[in-house]
Order: sequence, then C-alpha cells, then structure tokens
Amino acid sequence: MADSTKIRLDFRKSLGSFTLEVDCTLEKKVSAFLGVSGSGKSTLLNCVSGTLTPDEGEIAFGDEILYASASKINLPPEKRRFGYVFQEGYLFPHLTVAQNIRYGQPPSWKSSDAIDVLEISELLQRYPKELSGGQRQRVAIARALAMKPRMLLMDEPLAALDSALKDRIIPYLHYVKEAFEIPILYITHAFSEAMALADEAFLIADGEIMASGEPHRLLTAPSAMPIAQMTGVENILFLPVRASDKARGLTSLEMGDQSLIIPYIDIEVGEIVPVAIRAEDIIISLEPNISLSARNILPGKIQYLDVKSERTWLSILVEWHHLAVKITHEARDQLQLREGSKVYCVVKASAINLLWD
Amino acid sequence: MRITPAEVTALSLSIKVALLSLVIMFPPGLLVGWLLAKRTFPGKTFLNTLVMCPLVLPPIVSGYLLLILLGKHGVIGGFIYQTFGIEIVFSQWAVIIAVSIISFPLLVRGIVTGMEAVPLELENAARTLGASPFKVFWTITFPLAYRGVIGGTILGFSKSLGEFGATIMVAGNIPGKTQTMALAIFSAVHLGEDASVYRLVLISTIVAFIALWLTERFTLR
Repeated sequence: MADSTKIRLDFRKSLGSFTLEVDCTLEKKVSAFLGVSGSGKSTLLNCVSGTLTPDEGEIAFGDEILYASASKINLPPEKRRFGYVFQEGYLFPHLTVAQNIRYGQPPSWKSSDAIDVLEISELLQRYPKELSGGQRQRVAIARALAMKPRMLLMDEPLAALDSALKDRIIPYLHYVKEAFEIPILYITHAFSEAMALADEAFLIADGEIMASGEPHRLLTAPSAMPIAQMTGVENILFLPVRASDKARGLTSLEMGDQSLIIPYIDIEVGEIVPVAIRAEDIIISLEPNISLSARNILPGKIQYLDVKSERTWLSILVEWHHLAVKITHEARDQLQLREGSKVYCVVKASAINLLWD
Repeated sequence: MRITPAEVTALSLSIKVALLSLVIMFPPGLLVGWLLAKRTFPGKTFLNTLVMCPLVLPPIVSGYLLLILLGKHGVIGGFIYQTFGIEIVFSQWAVIIAVSIISFPLLVRGIVTGMEAVPLELENAARTLGASPFKVFWTITFPLAYRGVIGGTILGFSKSLGEFGATIMVAGNIPGKTQTMALAIFSAVHLGEDASVYRLVLISTIVAFIALWLTERFTLR
C-alpha cells in the first residue's frame, strides 16, 4: 500500500475507568482489529472516524493530520471522508434505500458501482424496515461506498447476522476489497472473519494492542492461546488429515497419536485443516470408558487452571496441543480438578468448526 | 344557539394570540429543545429548570413576575417604554408574552422527547457521510423527531388557547382588547350570564378536543 494511505494511530482515550491506548501504523489494504466486546475496538474506530475525540495523541491518514492534541487539530467526521459501516447498519429509517445511498454521495460521483457490487438495485425503492438483516448490511456498505470514501471503517458488519447470512455477505466484502482501491479498517471479535478478509491483524484487549502481524501467523502461533481466548473462538488447531470416510460421514485428523473426528470433508490425506473449537464445547470427564454419543474422547493433562469470576478456565495438554476449556466452578469442585489432573476431553464432531476462507 | 360578537372577538383573540405565540416561540423552542436533548454544556440544568419553571409555578405567580419585569418601572418594560414609548402591560403584546411563557415548557418538552428518541448513532452516521451538524439537524434529527415536535406544538397551542392566570395578571381582562376565551368565561360566570358561559365552555371544549385528537392522530399510529 502506498505511503499516502498509511494510517497512523497514536493516541489515548479514557471513558470512565477504561482507557484505550494505541500506537500502530496500518499499512495493508485490510487491517483487522480483533478483540472481545469491551476491549476498546469500537472506541478505536470512533476515534478514527472522528465521532469521538481522543484525550491526546495523533491520528494521521498518509500526510494528513486528522487529529493532533499538540497542535489542536481535530478534523470533524464530515471532513474526514471515511465510510463507516456499523454493526447495526444505522440506515436512516425515514429514507428509502436510494435516498440512504445518495445521502453522502458527492454530486460528481456515481453510486452505480457500489449498487452493482452489492447487488441491491432491486431494493432501491424500499424503506430500511422492509429489508432483511443481510440486505440492510449490504445497503449500509453501499451507502458508505457511495460517499467516495478515502477509507472504509467497518465495525462488526456481520455480527448482527446469523451464521448462514454471514457466509453470504463475506463474498460481498471480498468484492468490495477487490473493486474499490481504498484501505479498510475492519473490527471484529470473530476469528474467522479476520482470517478470511484481513491482510494484517491487531489483537486488542483491555484497551491495548497485544500483538500484531499477518493474520494466519498471528492467530495460530503457539503463544496465541490467550489471544484466541480473547477473540471468542478459543481453540484453533491446524491438523493433518489421517483418513476420510465418506460412507460413515467422518473425517479423522491427526492430533499427535490421537485422532480428532470431524464431520466428513472431501479432502486428500495429509492436507492440513484449520479447525476451531469453542472452549465451552469441550466436556471434561475423569473416565475414558463412558458411553457417549460424542466421537472424541481425548486424554490430556491439566496444565493450568485459572479461576475467573464466572467460569473456570482450564488449559489442557492433549499430545502437544493445548486446549482451552471453560467449565463452571461447580463442575471443577465436583470433579476435584487441579493442575496436573489427568482428564478426558469430550468433543462432539459437530462442535468442531472448519476455518475455511 | 347564537354566539354574540363579543364572544367571537374573545375566541378570535385567543386563536390569534395562540397562533402568534406559536410562530414566535417555535424557533427558540426548536433551539432550546435541541440543546437540552442533544448537547451537554455548563448551565444545562439551569436552562432546563428555567424553561420548565412556568409548568410548576402557579400561573398567577408567573404572571406576577412578568408584571414586575414588564411594567413601566420594570427592567424590561422600563427599557421598552423609554426607548419606544410602548407600554406592554395590559396590551395584546402582554397576552402574547404571557401565553408564550406558560406554553413554552410544553412545546419544549415535546421537542426534547422527540429529539431524545433519535439515536445519536444515526446522527453520527450522517456526520461520517459528510453532513455538517446543521445538515444532520434538518435531514435526520428534525424529521425523525416529528412526532414529538407535533405533539409539543399542539399541546403548547392548546395551553395558549386556554391560558388564564398569567394573562389576567399581566394583560388584565379588557373586553375587545385583552379578553381571551378563558377570561370571557371568567367574566360571564361572575356576571351570571349562564347562556354565554355554556356557549363559551362548549366552544372551548370542542377546540381542546380537536387539538388533542390531532395530536393523537399525528403522533400515534
């Protein structure tokens, strides 16, 4: 990406007892900020858009200073020309889709590209309340593109949609990425979205950037376990295929000497498959020989045990893979779990998600 | 039922005063409503209290305070009398000022309620789309607050139509000049003109009913 569109963020913003403090440069076409809600990622985006003013520091887009506390520069949002796509869409309810799209459109600029890319030409005469969730988000993206933005800011644009809809919107985001020559700042708590779209990723927690880098590398590094915990999908594993059995509808992955059974996928033996398992989808058992419908009963050892306010977090070593597991305090006490305990991790095949792009 | 010319005069004065008051007070009402609903600034609570005061003060007290302010020796009245030679007290201007002060809180309340219901996020979205705060107000905040604005307008207008206490204090009860509907009813009751009382009460009730019906019609769906 050219220097003229590098984005420099170096500022601090306090809201009540929470403080966001960032110092980073966005250099790639799509930069993702990953973090749970409350991590400060929306605050960050609002400071970039100008709807929120930092306490101090500097924000620059290429050579242009948007905000600088030292020289008292603070460009209002309407002068920044950053298209903002909100999680809830925030379409104007009293305007039709066409009027919404035209709202920020400069006179000399055509919105037909945005309308074509997002395939919403059928919807132009409708009002927002007559749209489905997915249509609403597509219109919101088109509206942001029609203003001829210098950059696109996306705040969890898919979070309000169910997973089937998400899969249908992600291709549109890819089209946008390809069709419009502008950088995108993408904020999400969803691991898979960052993997699918971003060229660089920043992990943000408690108002600080914890790590940054190329998404696949960043999110799958051994040190990423606490990071993955923050992003909602706690366990990301890259496992080679051992065998695939179409008749039984199962594929088996190598987890050291153990096998992880997942629903059947059509894939060569030996290929590496990225899978995600949520920490609460893993059941802990003290006995291996119990009758269960779950396909995976993996022996492991509790490496450490972390008592948080609502749940107990376990880090369990299965072969050489760490699994993060979330259980209730009650279960922990009943099973008398402690560091070093030998346990079995029970996982349904259907609770294992594939992380395909 | 025959309405006497005096009653027609009182009724038309009430309507004229209420309309004029509305025209005069609507722009400041919009501004104050927007400030109270959308802005934080030092002295906001004070402004809110000041504007809402006539709602809780007995109208007669508001009227008395106005009388002191607007009288020939009052701060405002004295200035106007010396500069323009106009005496406000006991004129139709006094009626307009009295009903404006009394109905202003209702107008503002409606506008504030309407504007508070417009999500800040929508306004911010409009800002990011290149709209100045002024454009945001006219294209987003105002159109989306219309129910509250209409509600406040009609309630304020109805209040103006029937205002009594402050008007009689500061404008007197001069037939043909400052005698509005409410004051005419008061006089008619005093003089024992029952037929006139019934007619005026009936007209007042019909006007109030229509106003409320319009409010509901526009604000509820």
